[in-house]
Amino acid sequence: MIGSTRLLEELTRLAARSKADGTSICAQGQGRHVLRFAYGTVHQVLFQEHITVTIKAVLGKRVGVASTDTFDRASLNRTLAAAVALARHSPNHPSLPPLPASHQLLTTEDHDAATAQAGPEAFLPSLKRLFHLCQGAGASLAGSCAVGEDELAVVNSAGVACYAASTLTGAKLVTMYRKLSGFSSRVERQVSRLNLEALLETSLGQCLHRQAPITLPLGTYEVILEPEAVAELLMWLGSIAFGAKSFHEKSSCISGRIGEQVMDKRITILDDGAHPDGLRMLFDFEGVPKRRVPLINRGTAAGLVYDTTYGHLYGQASTGHGLPPDDVEGPQPLHMFLEPGTASRDELIRGCERGVLIPRFHYVNGLLNPPEALMTGLTREGAWLIERGRRKAPVTTLRFTHSLLDALRHVVAISKERHRVADPMQESGCAVVPALHLARFKFTGRSEDA
Amino acid sequence: MAAERIPRELLLDVTRFLKRQGVDYADVRFERVQHESFVVQQQQVHSLSVEETAGVGIRVLFRGAWGFAATPHGGAPRLKRAAAQAVALAKASASVNKQPVKLVPVEPARATYRSPYEIDPFSVPLSKKLDYLMWATSELMGPQAVKRATAHMDFYRRTKFFASTDGAQIQQVLLESGAGLEVVAQQGNEVQLRSYPNSHHGALAQAGFEYVKRLDLVGGAKTIQREVLQLLRAKPPKPGLTTLILDPTQMVMQLHESCGHPTELDRVLGQELSYAGGSFLTPEHLGKLRYGSDAVTIVADATVPGGVGSFGYDDEGVPARRVELVRQGLFTGYLSSRESASRLGLPSSGGAMRAEHWDTPPLVRMTNVNLEPGEATVEELLRDVRRGYLLSTNKSWSIDDKRLNFQFTTEIGREIINGHMGALIANPLYTGITPQFWGRCTGLSNKASWQLWGVPNCAKGEPMQLMHVGHGAPYARFDGVWIGAAD
Repeated sequence: MIGSTRLLEELTRLAARSKADGTSICAQGQGRHVLRFAYGTVHQVLFQEHITVTIKAVLGKRVGVASTDTFDRASLNRTLAAAVALARHSPNHPSLPPLPASHQLLTTEDHDAATAQAGPEAFLPSLKRLFHLCQGAGASLAGSCAVGEDELAVVNSAGVACYAASTLTGAKLVTMYRKLSGFSSRVERQVSRLNLEALLETSLGQCLHRQAPITLPLGTYEVILEPEAVAELLMWLGSIAFGAKSFHEKSSCISGRIGEQVMDKRITILDDGAHPDGLRMLFDFEGVPKRRVPLINRGTAAGLVYDTTYGHLYGQASTGHGLPPDDVEGPQPLHMFLEPGTASRDELIRGCERGVLIPRFHYVNGLLNPPEALMTGLTREGAWLIERGRRKAPVTTLRFTHSLLDALRHVVAISKERHRVADPMQESGCAVVPALHLARFKFTGRSEDA
Repeated sequence: MAAERIPRELLLDVTRFLKRQGVDYADVRFERVQHESFVVQQQQVHSLSVEETAGVGIRVLFRGAWGFAATPHGGAPRLKRAAAQAVALAKASASVNKQPVKLVPVEPARATYRSPYEIDPFSVPLSKKLDYLMWATSELMGPQAVKRATAHMDFYRRTKFFASTDGAQIQQVLLESGAGLEVVAQQGNEVQLRSYPNSHHGALAQAGFEYVKRLDLVGGAKTIQREVLQLLRAKPPKPGLTTLILDPTQMVMQLHESCGHPTELDRVLGQELSYAGGSFLTPEHLGKLRYGSDAVTIVADATVPGGVGSFGYDDEGVPARRVELVRQGLFTGYLSSRESASRLGLPSSGGAMRAEHWDTPPLVRMTNVNLEPGEATVEELLRDVRRGYLLSTNKSWSIDDKRLNFQFTTEIGREIINGHMGALIANPLYTGITPQFWGRCTGLSNKASWQLWGVPNCAKGEPMQLMHVGHGAPYARFDGVWIGAAD
């Protein structure tokens, strides 16, 4: 980690040195200890640190981007020169917006010194005990733990100077018992809040059963999707539907439908980078403060996220959802929230006559038919058949192929508890979601043993 | 890190330092990657970027446990600090592990390898590259239904130096070039997509700019523009069991997901369970399981000219090899490393260890996982099909955590009726169970129609690493496959 003072000083110096008409510089630094384990053995312990500095140079209406991960003056100067040279050779971009101006933010609110200094020793004693507990239960354990710190700085020649430092830690546990498996995960800002034994209990709770998994007939079922499963679907929806680029290209399922009822009235989805329950990020990679953006408001398509480019195209201000300068995906919602309901998770299960409980999905793909939000994916650990409000039997792996838009039109209930789902390996991107009871979800395939 | 040169003596000094620390084994890997990326959209430059990354990754085996540390800083003190950190991490790991890691032997090589090319793409003027992309996108645009026309080029130069405490010293330079087009058309509620010559940036080869010239983007643009407009009016396939012929642009993903990943031995040993999943190809099946029909022979070949999974040596110093994964339908081999081969009692590594960058440890990765060609011409494959479909160019992919149940959609399909090509079909989707599907392979086209493509975004590991891997395949015919429509 370089720190706010030196990082902002160096980037400001670089922007001032630039001979371009406009210069925007984004620096993303990360340090991580990552530990992975399987069947009683730690098979990977690593420490990595890197910083990527991406420079966007603007000459009139021409743009060039260059990046480096070497933070010394010679490399930074060389990278700036490369960006300017690219801009010089680039054709005009007639609709190029001006660089965002004068935002200055500095936050270390989500940085915890003890977490920043933690290494594998933060996990190894607990891990030894977890191996022991699993052995005692006749189960096997695999998974990963990570801890580290991140920093993001954005400086431009129009007066933007933003810096944020944060820490992140988390764990994923997979437990296996006979033919069943379980999963649990958690992401926290502070390593002291991570309780591996509690995670193990959740994971074992999904698999420590003597019942063999049953094979369900294919068809449409009620489902109860736990937060991890909801988050994966929601993040896919975010990437194909709520960015102004996909809207503009008509591939979004809400293209031309703003103001139209597209989901059940109990569904409200928003993006809120400043909310402390998410992985807070106060500004985007262009240095624009993040706005709270309603995307679906009581079932109605309500809005999109913009960066400066697409904001300019639509006559809107950027909502603070720009990605780094070398990215081509367009603006993305990275902090999605699904509003909670009133029932407890147990009440959702009790309210299900016959359905499938799904803790998480595997390999969801939302590119089948984006205008319909048609997605496919598979169940993984801990899927159970529910009958008359009770868990009846574990089920073998099922494939769903269903429009998420259709699924979210048929909501039975939403849990009042929400969970933050994120990847502890990376700082940006999370979803804060409840569990959902949906009336129809189509299973189109299942796994069969070789 | 100073990007101009390899700090060879400093790196060798680190191996000597690590030996003095009493490690069982260690390797030190310098890597520098230069990447040029150009994206033109609607005749405007959408992205023009150059990226350079350089640093050193240090991997240590101490008392049978691994530790890995990486640093972008090139000076001796920072390198030694990273080396000491790797030792400390290995020691911490050793305090938990009961089973020490063992490695199968490899002869420490002193070698230099450069991938062949004719024209260095980094020497081609930027204006020439951009002009070509502009020309290609201009051919895609015109009709009102065309909503997006994109062209891209990517060039990579990877410079590596590997040194181990066993005495290996290997320098490699690997050069890759790629390009492609994508067009999106929309009419009413219908949105269609076509890519050329392959989707997902799959036209990527270990070659120079001559590869891009041979792709003929301008010629391809006219073809996919016509097709994407036809797809807006095309009908979906009739759902049901049918005969499918998959062309090499779809076989890429079929091989990748249903053969490449399940034969990675680290997955089989559980090391990917918390992220990418496991594998149905567990060791008791080796040499016994019928993976496919007699027609099916699949190899992992790191020696194929032009493959982006080719190299001289892998990232633990093992020479490039050709390993049979499936021989005439029988499951016969794994993609493996020195550690995973040892755990299974194999005599040698499959030479499949690669890291995305200097700051990540090597993992078992696909090299070029290729389906060997058959004898038939494409016309002969078609001739026997009374009713079926020819599917091309992957659009979406999904497979379960054991790599059994898969489902793919492709950008385009064509009816086959009595051995002849019929109408275009839109939104085709097919699904199957891996060994059942490959067991229904009833024909493969010959070497003349065999094509080699790249997958530049193969995700694995924590932290996630994206690897460039290659897949070569002929046209392949499968009977009794379930097809439907993604609509």
